[in-house]
Amino acid sequence: MWRSLRPAALLALTAGMALGLRLALASAQNTPIPQTPGWELVMRCVICHSVEVAVQQRFGPRGWSDTLDRMIKYGAPIPPEDKETLLVYLLRHYRDPAGR
Amino acid sequence: MIAGGAAIALLRATGARAQQPAALVPGKDRLIVRSPRPINLETRLGDLTAYHTPDDVFFVRNNYDAAPIAPAQWSMKIEGEVDNPRVLRLDDLQKLSMFTQDVTLECAGNGRSFHKPRASGIQWENGAVGNAAWKGVRLADVLRLARPRPTGRHVAFDGLDRPPTPQAPDFIRSVPIWKALEPHTMIALEMNGKPLPHLHGGPARAIVPGFVGSASVKWLERIIVLADEFDGFYMKSNYTAPRADNDKEIYSLQSLEVKSVIVGPTEGAKLPAGRTTVWGWAWSGEGELTGIDVSTDGGQSWSPGTFTGRWDRYSWRKWEAEWDARPGAHTMMARASDSLGRIQPTSRTFNRLGYRWNVIHAVKVDVA
Repeated sequence: MWRSLRPAALLALTAGMALGLRLALASAQNTPIPQTPGWELVMRCVICHSVEVAVQQRFGPRGWSDTLDRMIKYGAPIPPEDKETLLVYLLRHYRDPAGR
Repeated sequence: MIAGGAAIALLRATGARAQQPAALVPGKDRLIVRSPRPINLETRLGDLTAYHTPDDVFFVRNNYDAAPIAPAQWSMKIEGEVDNPRVLRLDDLQKLSMFTQDVTLECAGNGRSFHKPRASGIQWENGAVGNAAWKGVRLADVLRLARPRPTGRHVAFDGLDRPPTPQAPDFIRSVPIWKALEPHTMIALEMNGKPLPHLHGGPARAIVPGFVGSASVKWLERIIVLADEFDGFYMKSNYTAPRADNDKEIYSLQSLEVKSVIVGPTEGAKLPAGRTTVWGWAWSGEGELTGIDVSTDGGQSWSPGTFTGRWDRYSWRKWEAEWDARPGAHTMMARASDSLGRIQPTSRTFNRLGYRWNVIHAVKVDVA
């Protein structure tokens, strides 16, 4: 059901962002996230869990890619073209150089 | 529907905190917020001063959150490999023999943040552990009502917590039948003398003493007797670790490790020279504690400490050691051992999910 409604969810998210994004950021005020390209995609993660769950992780390229694939499998509204942008963002700010 | 839901979820997540910037959960404001949603709260080591950890500082670990349910509305199914499937309400459980025991619960990922490189999951330090008095009924007595078949070799627990999407796996954990029938394994209805709080699994939760905390499923709504270990994500993927004898194979975690923490003095403490007491807690899952060694010189030399105070089969034990503190910088260490021949190690091989962290705890202090 979620999968079939994914376009609707994306639309809503975009619309909801205008309303909710500032508040969502405010909710993460103890864990501010850098506003470099791709930062707004992190807000898609907060549909299901708080931003803190994501940004306390540190992985290498494979670790972050596997994590995003798992989240997409579980219904995260992240189409392939956005996955790459999000991956670059996460690796820029939340990378463990020693991680896989 | 989901569109509205998404926007509402955003607003809900933010609105609650906007009104309560200081405390995510009323009464839990001393805890460290590892995640607001799902709620994951860590106890500060300095707050683990009492044998029974008070509710207001007891850690909270949720894979998913659950909506509160009124005790009168609560019921639980028992199904699977049983001859007499049952639906039980709270008053059905209250007719059974009740008992109270002290059990230490520790999250399997406690200490995860100390793994190098960073392991996947909530980045707990040392405070995903606590000890409480749990009152309830024996799981064996409850299972007997449903008449398990001889084919039943595992018992799975399912709670009212639900994943946020239909594709994400439900949080279900199973334990082998020997542990389910063991007389300490219980369905708890009270914690520290009060009805079980919602955040700790009320009205009714499993308590599987000695096992990793995830076995003690909260908000029980279904018990399933199975022929095999439950075949789900939280048994076959999460809460697993590589086998010690063959790291290509993984196993689902059961017993906690032997472990100890230093509560006093605290990290960075400045102490006057002279006699002082070093103390903390130790626990060991399925083993029984046999010793605690304490070092005040960073592990170069060790002296036996003493267990003291009350304890129960599956509770932690307080330990202490006297120390004649001389001026200078010192590193305190504590190392517990148990009846299974286990002793706390100086290092732990990296595992991807960051479990089994029981490396010797070290605390640095300055003596003036």
